[in-house]
Amino acid sequence: MQRTTQPVDIERIQTFMAVRRAARPARRAAFSLALPLVAFLLVAFVAPILYLLVTAVDNPETQSVLPRTLAALEGWDGTSTPDEPVFAALAADLKQAKEDSTAALVGKRLNYEIPGMRSKMLAASRMAAGLETGPYREKFLEQGGIWADPATWAVIQRNGAGLTPYYLMTAVDLKQAPTGGIERVAPDQAIFLPVLGRTLLVAGMVTALTLILGYPVAYVLTIAPKTIAAVMMLMVLLPLWTSLLVRTTAWVVLLQSDGVINSVLMALHLTTEKIQLIFTRVGTVTAMTHIQLPFTILPIYSVMRAIQPTQLRAARSLGAGPTSAFWRIYAPQTLPGVVAGCLMTFILSLGYYITPALVGGPQDQMVSNFIAVYINRDLNWGLAAALGVVLLLVTLAIYGLFLRLVGADKIKLG
Amino acid sequence: MASMQTGTHAGGRSSDALVRFTQVKKSYDGIHYVVKDLNLDVAKGEFLTMLGPSGSGKTTTLMMLGGFERPTLGQIMLDGKPVERLPPEKRNIGFVFQNYALFPHMTVAENVGFPLRYRGIKGEAAREKVARALGRVSLEAMGDRRPAQLSGGQQQRVALARALVFEPSLVLMDEPLGALDKQLRERMQIEIKHLQTSLGITMVYVTHDQSEALTMSDRIAVFHDGRIQQLADPKTLYNAPENRFVAGFIGENNTMPCTLVGHENGLAVVRMADGSILKSAGAAQASAGGDLSLSVRPENIAQADGQPAPGTNLFSGTVTEVFFLGDHLRLSVTAFAGQAVTARIPVSAARGFKPGETVHLSCNAADCRLLEG
Amino acid sequence: MWLPSYATPSERLSRILVVGFAVAVLLFLIAPLFIIVPLSFSKDPFFTLPVREYSLRWYEDLFGNPRWFNAMVNSAVAAVLTTILATTLGTLAALGIARPDFPYRRAIMALLISPMIVPIVIVAVGSYLFFGQFGLTNTRAGLVFAHTALATPFVVITVTATLSTYDTNLTRAAHSLGASGLSAFFRVTLPNILPGMVSGAIFAFATSFDEVVVALFLTAAEQRTLPVQMFSGIRDQINPTIMAAATMLLTLSILLFVALALLTRKKTR
Repeated sequence: MQRTTQPVDIERIQTFMAVRRAARPARRAAFSLALPLVAFLLVAFVAPILYLLVTAVDNPETQSVLPRTLAALEGWDGTSTPDEPVFAALAADLKQAKEDSTAALVGKRLNYEIPGMRSKMLAASRMAAGLETGPYREKFLEQGGIWADPATWAVIQRNGAGLTPYYLMTAVDLKQAPTGGIERVAPDQAIFLPVLGRTLLVAGMVTALTLILGYPVAYVLTIAPKTIAAVMMLMVLLPLWTSLLVRTTAWVVLLQSDGVINSVLMALHLTTEKIQLIFTRVGTVTAMTHIQLPFTILPIYSVMRAIQPTQLRAARSLGAGPTSAFWRIYAPQTLPGVVAGCLMTFILSLGYYITPALVGGPQDQMVSNFIAVYINRDLNWGLAAALGVVLLLVTLAIYGLFLRLVGADKIKLG
Repeated sequence: MASMQTGTHAGGRSSDALVRFTQVKKSYDGIHYVVKDLNLDVAKGEFLTMLGPSGSGKTTTLMMLGGFERPTLGQIMLDGKPVERLPPEKRNIGFVFQNYALFPHMTVAENVGFPLRYRGIKGEAAREKVARALGRVSLEAMGDRRPAQLSGGQQQRVALARALVFEPSLVLMDEPLGALDKQLRERMQIEIKHLQTSLGITMVYVTHDQSEALTMSDRIAVFHDGRIQQLADPKTLYNAPENRFVAGFIGENNTMPCTLVGHENGLAVVRMADGSILKSAGAAQASAGGDLSLSVRPENIAQADGQPAPGTNLFSGTVTEVFFLGDHLRLSVTAFAGQAVTARIPVSAARGFKPGETVHLSCNAADCRLLEG
Repeated sequence: MWLPSYATPSERLSRILVVGFAVAVLLFLIAPLFIIVPLSFSKDPFFTLPVREYSLRWYEDLFGNPRWFNAMVNSAVAAVLTTILATTLGTLAALGIARPDFPYRRAIMALLISPMIVPIVIVAVGSYLFFGQFGLTNTRAGLVFAHTALATPFVVITVTATLSTYDTNLTRAAHSLGASGLSAFFRVTLPNILPGMVSGAIFAFATSFDEVVVALFLTAAEQRTLPVQMFSGIRDQINPTIMAAATMLLTLSILLFVALALLTRKKTR
């Protein structure tokens, strides 16, 4: 039996290979057309994102400023204050650092993990620059108990590695325990998971609202007479075309305490006091819902339009009343559009920056806003990058879901 | 519209009508009528086909019966009760749609079980009914599939099973076989006809395919321009068309202008364009002088030889074209001063014809019809 | 059209409610856009309706103040360069993807679309850090590169959509009539996919012209674009010149939108 099947198998493999070979020039030709864009995106889009990933784990400061100290620490037992050779090495490193003005750099990096370390490091480097000979240990210990604490040295030793999990852990509110294990930060110090949770919550609220508001609009678009439907479509597409900033500006003007909504409410005597609308969650979600509505409506509409009118007629002829026919026959068939529209809006809502920055209050800032703050104000690139990684992973996970359920080729414009 | 009430076995206003249209009119814009003054009875157990070109009003009529359109004027009675205002789900009529309208998000069994839910049939009883309905159309094994996984013919059967599962006394079909290829279509015609007779269902069937209508129907209503042109059983319709439209729409017909000269032995005597005299049946209501056409089917024209029997028309013409079609020849002839006439001559009875030669042809006066217009 | 003729009274009522709700949502969609127009013509430096007195002073500021004017020019230049680059790269890629032999279509399509999906801040920060290594921050080139990456998905999508309706027999016919590959492309394929290309180009232009976040990170005062100027204006002290700028942007959007609508109508005709 085997003897007879074997040649057949080889023949099949050969045929398969021949088919592949024959297809290769055409495949290459087709791919070569896409190559310029693929290459461009790899350089101008993928590389910056990969660089961001690297920045999130990059840890060059300690290694470059304190090389001698790290070498001397190799024999340290990890539990007691180090001996003289380590302090001598530290003094030498800091003397060099003073000359290169890099003490602040390593001080700032270590300050993330040991509060107050930046100023201690600067003071120590000034001191080290004035010292000619040892013993150094006493001099450093006089500077403060921080140099006697084994925990300080453990942090310095740990950061001798070129890569660090510190930023990524911080970005999800984890920290390295003194014992070396990983633990959650104290609940009152947890910042970033709540921010991520808030981002997901706002995105979820916006998605739900766009669905509730958008589904009937999509439906009416399919049943309206042609010319009316065209006008309605215009009203959906024009906002999509208008700059995000213009739409956000409009909401700033509307929501301001002296703004249009308050003046209308006052003029109608619906309220006697101005209502705080801007810099609130309500304002942020309203503005984002307004901006995202077309993204939810359009995929639902395109699915609804493809549903044959005979589907509802068939349901009615078989005995279903109007409500039952809608929920059992029509609504389930619109599900692909609902999934596509909602996933798209959810993905885009996760990355909102402009609208929360201009319309939201401090409690409405999303992950994106924190990333911008860490880049611009705190100059903590590592943490900004790590937050970026978290946001990117969440987004890509949902994008992956979108690709599985909907497909990249189903995205349409207008 | 006098034609409607004549020459039909179930015509008139019998009391056993399941469906009765009385002076039904339908207009969408208030100016143009899609259906003009429709009067029609469908008897219990009858297979009635509404046949006509697109835009003739046949589908609108079906939709009014199904409850998807409301008549502008007139009355539709179902089992003796007026139903114009009854929504479709309350009519208990099985409906098979063009392209089937199977629910894509449900399995075959769920599709077929769908109407049972609204009739309070649940659980085992429902499962049994679904199985029986699927068995009836030989799809027992396909219950768990989705409609998209079935072939066109199988989808057709599911649609049929779904329309029959709740045992409606009336089933409507809107061009149900239009999407199938010819062979499958012919098989399904026979299957549907069998189901209809064995279950004793009343069927109203819409099609534009005349051979389908002739194969399946007890009676055929030929629609044109919003009116029923003729309502009759297939044989009568084929052999005795009552007007030019029916003559041209059902089968092939030579219609040649002529004028009535008089009557002789119950046959009409007419003068053709070239002055020759022919005789024709079916001229009872024709009056002399009016515009008339003599209509005769190509298969009723034969090659004239020997002694013509009495009552046989003889004429001659010039052959323009000859086509070989297997069992017969198709002969195009110019006769009666420029009139194109087509004849189907069985191969066994034919000799070699050449374009340009003169042939002598004959047709029986009983096979000729005299039509107005 | 609104209702099937067999609708029951309760169905009619619910239909009226649904249509009313949809119309309200549509007003919610469109009204905020036009609230800024009257405010930009107000003489007062604050935002109350109705406008008490009309003037063009904020438009004078927009066009007279070099900061605003330069921002407009910067935006236009960046948008035009982005459009050219994105349309060229995107069209070529779409032509490749449309071929039946294209390898790894799903994966590559997912990559090409991803700039639409990745949060804009990540693109901005990544470009800021990465381009900084090559001295591309605070340059127009850096801004155009980043904007082109953001704009190409739109071109790929529109041209792919047009190509899906393009009959490849047209190209075959051109070849059979003696046209070479390039000449068949320029004389037969290109004229047929042009509407898709122009739609894509309009999308690309709008993407760049409206973009704030990347521009915020990648530009200094010298390359500052109009949206960035507006953004910092709203943050610091909102002033009606921003309304004038917003009205201008809105007008531009409407013009581009109308251009696109005319284009697609011609295509379907």
